[in-house]
Amino acid sequence: MPTIVVASPKGGAGKSTTAVLLGTELANGGVSVTMLDCDPNGSLTLWAERGELPDGITVLSDISEADIVRTIKAHDSDGKVVVVDLEGVASRLVSRAISQADLVLTPMRATTLDATIGARALQLIAEEEEALDRTIPHAVVFTMTKAIQSKQHKGIAVSLKEQGVDVIDPPLMERAAFSGIFAFGGDLHSMPPQGNMQGARDNARAFAMQVYKRLTGEI
Amino acid sequence: MTGPNPFSIALSPSKLRSKPKDSTPQTVARSDEIAEKHGFVERAPKKRRGRKPSPRTGQVHAKVMPNVAREISHEASARGVQQGVLIEEAWALYKASRKS
Repeated sequence: MPTIVVASPKGGAGKSTTAVLLGTELANGGVSVTMLDCDPNGSLTLWAERGELPDGITVLSDISEADIVRTIKAHDSDGKVVVVDLEGVASRLVSRAISQADLVLTPMRATTLDATIGARALQLIAEEEEALDRTIPHAVVFTMTKAIQSKQHKGIAVSLKEQGVDVIDPPLMERAAFSGIFAFGGDLHSMPPQGNMQGARDNARAFAMQVYKRLTGEI
Repeated sequence: MTGPNPFSIALSPSKLRSKPKDSTPQTVARSDEIAEKHGFVERAPKKRRGRKPSPRTGQVHAKVMPNVAREISHEASARGVQQGVLIEEAWALYKASRKS
């Protein structure tokens, strides 16, 4: 099963939100999804306990550095997806997860600080590719973006693209529904309305579609 | 967002193929080596081996008759407690008896 690792050593970049939105949208599209909560803060587990898990989703909690490779391997089969949510720190667990990834997503807010720290994950991926002698597809997704992009956002995006970094379009915008999903559990289709629900669903779905296309080689 | 309709392609799980990945201990060790170079270090909490230290750090030096020592020892063993627990209980009884 293709393994998507959501990694950034920067805390608060939107990793868990990205993981939940991606997992729930893929499941909504009929894909079986196993989500691995590797963050000691247990964000995915808290979300899973808040409400009824959407069909097709399994959440495994407390995955440690010692378990990660074995756990990913145990769930590795075609037609399904594993989503790995990591803690926002520079840990060996991150590198081990990346070594088993079919796609690494690095969420970052459109700020210089997020981009600078997030770039450390990109450097780690580049070196792992060399050492493990395989390509590890990776992409950046901007999170918590505004409807009107700031100069900083545009500048960072241009800089990343110039360096050959794949930047997913659309970004995940700042939306009440995206933060609210951790209060209510479930997915964007089952939770009580929070702000512009249709806009949130369209955004998450379009993002998940872009990830799906990268997994299937359409991009 | 790009494209006129981002939802035009339906998800097809059969298209999702896992690529072979090396997960041998050697690969994990190589990955760890690179990680350390970039400051991605071991952060897993260390588990302490053995039994947890007893909170009973105070000590008394009581010499008693051999038969009393044997009886205290047997009683502690039978109840599965430290001998200090029996002394604490005896001391509590003594204090209670002095109050009454």
